[in-house]
Amino acid sequence: MAAVQKLPVSSLSTTASNYGSCKADTVAADQFPVGLRVLVVDDDTTCLRILEQMLRKCMYRVTTCSQATIALNLLRERKGCFDVVISDVYMPDMDGFKLLEHVGLEMDLPVIMMSSDARTSAVMKGIKHGACDYLIKPVRLEELKNIWQHVVRKKWNENKEHEQSGSAEENDRHKRGGSDADYASSVNEGTDGSWKVQKKRRDAKDDDDEGDLENEEPGTSKKPRVVWSVELHQQFVGAVNQLGIDKAVPKRILELMNVPGLTRENVASHLQKFRLYLKRLSAVAQQQVGISNSFCGTVESNAKLGSLGRLDLQALAASGQIPPHTLAALQSELLGRPTGSLVLPAMDQPVFLQSSLQGPKCVPVERGVTFGQPLIKCQSNIAKQFPQSNISVEDIPSGFGTWSPNSLGTVGASGSFGGQNTQNNNMLMQILQQQQQQQQQQQQGVLLEPSHTINVQPSCLVVPSQSSSSFQAGNNIVPLNQNSSFSSSAVIDYSLLSSQSNNASLGVGQVIDGDLKSTGVLNGYTMPASISPSVSSCSVLADHGTGWQVQNSAISLSYVSQLPGLVPNACEIQHSYDTKAAPLPDQGPGRNLGFVGKGTSIPSRFAVDDIEFPTSNSSHGKTYMDNTGGRVKQEFNLDFVENAKIKDAVFLGKKISSLGKLSCFPESHPRGPRCKEEVLCDVI
Amino acid sequence: MLGFGADRLRADMNRLLALLFHQGVLDEQFLQLQQLQDETSPNFVSEVVNIYFHESEKLLRNLRGLLSDRELSDYKKMGIHLNQFMGSSSSIGAKRVRNVCVAFRAASEQNNRVGCLRALEMLEHEYCYLKNRLHELFQMEQQRVMAAGVRYPMQN
Repeated sequence: MAAVQKLPVSSLSTTASNYGSCKADTVAADQFPVGLRVLVVDDDTTCLRILEQMLRKCMYRVTTCSQATIALNLLRERKGCFDVVISDVYMPDMDGFKLLEHVGLEMDLPVIMMSSDARTSAVMKGIKHGACDYLIKPVRLEELKNIWQHVVRKKWNENKEHEQSGSAEENDRHKRGGSDADYASSVNEGTDGSWKVQKKRRDAKDDDDEGDLENEEPGTSKKPRVVWSVELHQQFVGAVNQLGIDKAVPKRILELMNVPGLTRENVASHLQKFRLYLKRLSAVAQQQVGISNSFCGTVESNAKLGSLGRLDLQALAASGQIPPHTLAALQSELLGRPTGSLVLPAMDQPVFLQSSLQGPKCVPVERGVTFGQPLIKCQSNIAKQFPQSNISVEDIPSGFGTWSPNSLGTVGASGSFGGQNTQNNNMLMQILQQQQQQQQQQQQGVLLEPSHTINVQPSCLVVPSQSSSSFQAGNNIVPLNQNSSFSSSAVIDYSLLSSQSNNASLGVGQVIDGDLKSTGVLNGYTMPASISPSVSSCSVLADHGTGWQVQNSAISLSYVSQLPGLVPNACEIQHSYDTKAAPLPDQGPGRNLGFVGKGTSIPSRFAVDDIEFPTSNSSHGKTYMDNTGGRVKQEFNLDFVENAKIKDAVFLGKKISSLGKLSCFPESHPRGPRCKEEVLCDVI
Repeated sequence: MLGFGADRLRADMNRLLALLFHQGVLDEQFLQLQQLQDETSPNFVSEVVNIYFHESEKLLRNLRGLLSDRELSDYKKMGIHLNQFMGSSSSIGAKRVRNVCVAFRAASEQNNRVGCLRALEMLEHEYCYLKNRLHELFQMEQQRVMAAGVRYPMQN
C-alpha cells in the first residue's frame, strides 16, 4: 500500500507543493473555527445586536449589516473577506432569498438563512434557493457555535466539484478513515488516462487537506479560487446565452469568455451552479433531479432521481454534463495514452459533438436514431429497435422483478447504496480500464458485423458484466460515474451494445429481451462510435468513451420520460452493478447459457472484490474461458492477441461474441497493462 | 446597610423574574440574553431590550396605521411586520408577545380584520406589560449596581 500511495505523490510535483502550503495554513490557523468571518444581515436591529453578541461569544469575527443591499455591496467590495453569511429572510430592501442567490452565484459563500417563520414552506424555500442552513428565531448560541461546519462543508464540496468526481470522491471521503487501500486503488486508476491521474492527484491533495483539516482554516483555501465577479459572471451568462443553455458546455463557454487563467473546470463548476440556479428558479421539487438531468435540460427524471438521489445529484449532473462538455478532453485524458486518443481523433470528435448536441435534447430515442443512422451501417435496424426500445422499457420492470431477487441475493450490499458506492468506486476504478477495454471490444464487435450485433442483442443479455464495466468507464470520465452508469446501464445501450459487445449484457441482462431492443437503441448510439472505430480500428477507444457518455445521458432521459415505473428498476440496476454477476448468470442460463455464465461471473467478481482486482480479472478470464474458451480469458491478460479471436467468436456465436468482445479490447491493450499494474499496486 | 439593600434588590429582581417566567411573559431566551452579558458589554441586556422597545413601538405604530385604513389593509405588509415582531420578541424571550404575534399573523393571513384588531389590542397590552415589568427590572438592576458599587467600589 505504501508504495502505491507514493506513486501519485512522486509523479505529481504539484501535490508536494500543495501539501507544503497546506501545512503552512494549518499552522496559521490551528484554532479553527476561531476567527471565522461572519457577515450578519438583518433589518431587525434587535436580532442583529443579539446575534452579534452571540457570534462574538463564539470567537468569530462579526460584521453586521441591517440592509441587504449594503450587505451585497460589502460582499462584492470585500470578496474573500467573509467565510459565511447569515441573512434574515424578510428584509424591506431586498428579499433574503435574492441576496442568497446573488451570494451563491457571485461569491459562492455558504449562506445561512434565518427567520421567525418556521413554516415548512418557508424553510423549503430557503433550501430551494440554496441556503446551507435555516435557523429559526430565536437563534440560540448553540446553533451558532456550529456554523463553521458549513464553511468546511462548502470547501469540501468545492473540491469535489473541481474534481468533477462525484460519488466516487464522496465515497472516498466517507471511507476516508481507513480506506487507504481504496485510495491507492483510485490513484492507480491513472492507468485510465492522464485525466484520471489528475483527478487522483486532486484526491491526494484532498486527503492531505482532510488530514489537516481540523487545524486548517477554511477561509484560506490553498487552491487558487476563481472569484466570479459580476463582470465575469456576466461574461459567463453572455456566453451561455450565446450558446444556448442546453448546448452550453464549459469548453465552448471558456472559448467564448476568453478569460486568461480561467480553466475549464472553473467554468464547469460555475456552469453547474448556474444551472442549479436556473433550476431553482423554475421548479424546486425537481431541481435536484433536474440537476442530474440538467444535461438534458427539460427532462426531469424523477425516477432517476430516486435512484440517483442516493448518489450525489450534483455529481451525477456533473457526470452527465461533463461527458458532452469535455468529450474531447476526456477522450484524450481517458485514453491516457496519446496514441490511443490520437488514432481517431477526427472521427471521435464528430461523434462527440453529435452526442453532446443530442445530449441536451430530452428525447433519447431520437438521439439514438440520429446517431445510429449516421454512424451505424445497420441504422435501419437500430431505428426499428428504437420504438421497441420504448416497449422494452416497459417490459424491463417485469424482467427486473424476476431479476431483482437474484441481484439482491448476490449483491447483498447493493441495498445500501453507500456501501455500493464505495465498492463501486473501487470497482469503478478497476473497472474503468476494463470498461474501456470492453468498449473497445464492443467497437470491434460492432465493426465486425453490425448484423451480428442485432442478432446478438437477444443473446447479449447475458453479457452484462462487461457492459457494466463499460458503463463505468463512461462514468469514469465523470466523477459520478456510478450514478450515470446506473441510470444508463440499467436499461441502456449496454444491452444493445452488449449484444454486440458485452456492454449490453450488464444493464440489459436483467432487463430481458425487451431490454435488448431498447439497448439496441442505445447501442445504436454506441454503434456509431464503434463504427468509427471500425473505420480506424485503433481509434475506437476514444469513440467509445464519447459514445458511452452520450448513451448515459440518453439513458437517463429515456428512463425519465418513458419509464416512471422504472425508477425502482433503476435502483435495482444500480445494484445490478455489484450484483450484476449474479443476476446475469441466472439469466444467462435461461437465455444464453454459455454467455450468461461468463458475463455474469465477471461482473459479480468485480463488484465483490474491489481490491482483489487482479484476481478478479484472472477469474474473469477463467469464467470466460469456461464459456467461450480460452479466448475470453486471454482477453484480459492478452487483449491484443485475443482480440482477433474474440471477434471471431463473436461472429461465430452471438453470445460468445459478446463475451469475447467484453474480454477482448483492442484498445484495452494500453489500458489493460495499466489495469494490471494498478491491480498489482493494490495488492501490494 | 447599602450592601444589604443590594442583596434585597437582587432578591426582588429574582422574584420578579420568577413571576414573569411563571406568567409566561418571558422564557429561557431571556436568560441566554443575560448570559451574553459580559465585561465587554456590561449593559448588554438593557441595551438590547431598549433597542427592542424602540423597534417594537415603530412596528406597533405601523400595524395600527395599516389597520386604521378600513377598506384597504395591506395584510401582506402586516405579515412582514409581524414576522419581524415575532423574530425580535422571541429573540429577547418575550414569549407572550410572540404568541400574540403568531395569532395576529394568522388573522392577517386570513384577512380577518376583526381578528387583527383584537390581536393588535392584545399585542399592545402584552407589550406594555412587558415593557413596564422590564423597566422595573432594569431599575432594580441599576439600584443594585449602585448599591453594590458603594460597598464594593472595585466590583464593577
